[in-house]
Amino acid sequence: MTSLREMKEKGYIPQKMYAKLFIAGAFSLSKTLLLNMSDLKKLRKIPVGSERYIRPKREYEIPKFTEDMKINNSNEKYLRPTLYCDHREPEVVALAHKLGAYKKSDREFAKAAFELVKEHTTLEICPLNRVGETLNRGTGTCFHLITAFIALCRAAGIKARYKVFAMNMIKAWYDSVVEADPLVKKWYDSMGYFMLEGEGEAFIDGKWVVAHVGPKAERQAAAGIPITKFGEDSIGRWFFAIPGTIMTMESIPYGFSGSTKLLKKIAPGSMERVNISILKQIEKGRKIIEDAGGVEAYDKMSRAEKGAKKPELKIENKSQIVFED
Amino acid sequence: MTITYDDYIKNFNQCVEKYIPPKKNWTPPDLAVYGPKDPFKVPIKEGKKLQFDAIKYQFKNHYENNKMYHGFCKELKFTPDKIKKYEDLEKIPLIPGEFYKDYPNGKDFALWLANIFTGEIPQVKISGKNPNFDDIINAFNASGLAVAYSSGTSGRHTFIPRDNRTFFIAEYAVAKNTICMAYPIYSYDMKGYLLMPNPFKTNVFAGKVCTIYFDAISEVKSAIDREINTELIKLSMTGSGGFKAKMIQKYLAKMNKKIINNIIKWIEKNYKEKNKIVFAGAPFFLYAVTNKLKEQGKTFDFSDRGAILTGGGWKVHETKRIPVADFRKQMKEILGINPEHCLDLYGMVEGNGWMVHCPEGHYLHIPYTYYHPLVLDDEFKPVGYGKWGRFAFLDGSTFSYPGFIISGDKVRMLEHCPVCDRPGPVLEPEVTRASGKEMRGCAEELRRMISNDVGGK
Repeated sequence: MTSLREMKEKGYIPQKMYAKLFIAGAFSLSKTLLLNMSDLKKLRKIPVGSERYIRPKREYEIPKFTEDMKINNSNEKYLRPTLYCDHREPEVVALAHKLGAYKKSDREFAKAAFELVKEHTTLEICPLNRVGETLNRGTGTCFHLITAFIALCRAAGIKARYKVFAMNMIKAWYDSVVEADPLVKKWYDSMGYFMLEGEGEAFIDGKWVVAHVGPKAERQAAAGIPITKFGEDSIGRWFFAIPGTIMTMESIPYGFSGSTKLLKKIAPGSMERVNISILKQIEKGRKIIEDAGGVEAYDKMSRAEKGAKKPELKIENKSQIVFED
Repeated sequence: MTITYDDYIKNFNQCVEKYIPPKKNWTPPDLAVYGPKDPFKVPIKEGKKLQFDAIKYQFKNHYENNKMYHGFCKELKFTPDKIKKYEDLEKIPLIPGEFYKDYPNGKDFALWLANIFTGEIPQVKISGKNPNFDDIINAFNASGLAVAYSSGTSGRHTFIPRDNRTFFIAEYAVAKNTICMAYPIYSYDMKGYLLMPNPFKTNVFAGKVCTIYFDAISEVKSAIDREINTELIKLSMTGSGGFKAKMIQKYLAKMNKKIINNIIKWIEKNYKEKNKIVFAGAPFFLYAVTNKLKEQGKTFDFSDRGAILTGGGWKVHETKRIPVADFRKQMKEILGINPEHCLDLYGMVEGNGWMVHCPEGHYLHIPYTYYHPLVLDDEFKPVGYGKWGRFAFLDGSTFSYPGFIISGDKVRMLEHCPVCDRPGPVLEPEVTRASGKEMRGCAEELRRMISNDVGGK
């Protein structure tokens, strides 16, 4: 059984800001559901004869786990197993070795893990589960996918953690994810921002490098934005973080899984509608990429269109800034 | 008898003397801002010379004293010696406005502000274990800076670290540019109503920059007299649930009604006392006031003693945007204020360039003695006059941060005003957001913050 000390150390007990956002989200959802009972009744189920969600086939092979595969048994912070993220699960270890664990440099490995999760898994709104299951299925919410990235890194002995924030999303993503279902739209609109969003971070050469694994290239193309690369932040591209809400954590906290399970129970139809819309976006994006002449050509074109070059800012300590705790 | 323009501007300069540095200390940027008697009537050749010197001076300043900007220019292989002639100004590296929105939180926010600052920052003492944005901004401002922010509409502010010298320029320019255009209506004995938060109780740029009105005009009232900070904006605008947010929203809704009634009482009092009046700020307040007066069947005649200076956007309701011409018509019908004394301003927290409607044609005139406007295409290349594109500018008046910025606004620039004879370039009267950009404008911020029932019909 997990001791209280371990719960605290690993961050299973939610941080104050996380708890605040989580409660706000739950409250807003409850209110939306209570005030829209008749809509809920209608939207709970997908009408007979309507389009149904068919989960896409997994895009990669997972080799068989063998005893000679090295397992990271460290208990160090960011290297040890956490909730829903046990990197010692056979599927994770096997896949990590396939990607070059303990053979490639940390950066090369993290990049390979990023590419696999970002480009070969698919966003699907579903309840949280163990990470091996996510890899077997090849789909999941952004938190499933971030967990998969973090687990692969930890399996290769690279420290990894979650970066979580409350956000406003760009319009294109709002159209495909929020507008897709009237109930989700009411929830989003009533809150002003969706509950939480996240990214992974891997500790490489003394620095935390961000990995935004949630959207695959096709979804980004459908939204008309550049393809985020390893080390590029989603904040400012897909999302605008609500100031003051960015948190880093070793683990997904308690309570997160319960909420997704509850949502599945209450509004399965809404979840399915969003998933159908996501697949349509992917299809649309695939066509855009093909028309542009491939991923690289699309990315180059969209970067030229989407933004002027920004200065790089390395935040350094300044002796004039004095913090009086 | 009408006051001469020279006396008119002399009177204004006397009132705002503290904003003007001693002439012996003037640098090219000071000369470009404080020098011209009317920034919109300087002969083009002379204006371009002032502008070139000011921008060249500031580019060198930021290149040499701002590590972030130095690195950016180095990457783009642009150095101060490459600015030889006026046309070279357009090669100066521009910073996308989004850069100033991309900040961390907590203590890192303080370091972020310090790192984007040009030159030596004074000592800033920040108390508390987990300082929030307001704590940090207040600490910076207590150390002699004037950090201000805007556009919290999407929950993301633009923070700009001005030093006092740069902030004084912003204040002086906003007052002088409007007063020049409003000639001859301004005089110190006017009574003013600021349709904005009290400048002394906020760091929201649109409010804070109005401090100068308290020096330029004998008596000024503020529509919103409570402290407005990032926390309050977040609670009132992002719609975040929770008891505190609901209470704030209820309080603001109650305050709205009070504001409208206060403004009406103020109009009646000044009408009776035959005072000269000026409103400055968000147009939706006046729209709501005049709607209420219309309902009550009341009209006034301030034709020779009233002016309105608006700014920040033309949304008056969640789903309604009022055409500027209709707004002027309504002000004439209800308050009797002449359309030529009803002027709109366009500016933003990222710069000190205040563009003001001319009374004759209501085109937005650009203060070209210190501010170089650009219109960019989708590839961020300058396009000529008459074409739509994204607005960008080189601001030769900002000492403490590089004011060479690409905005998110869509504009069309003309070489000269089609109506009046002022020689400089103009923007077409209404500015909109470029596609993909979040909604913005300080009036929109304010409107959404206290929108429940002020918007009128």
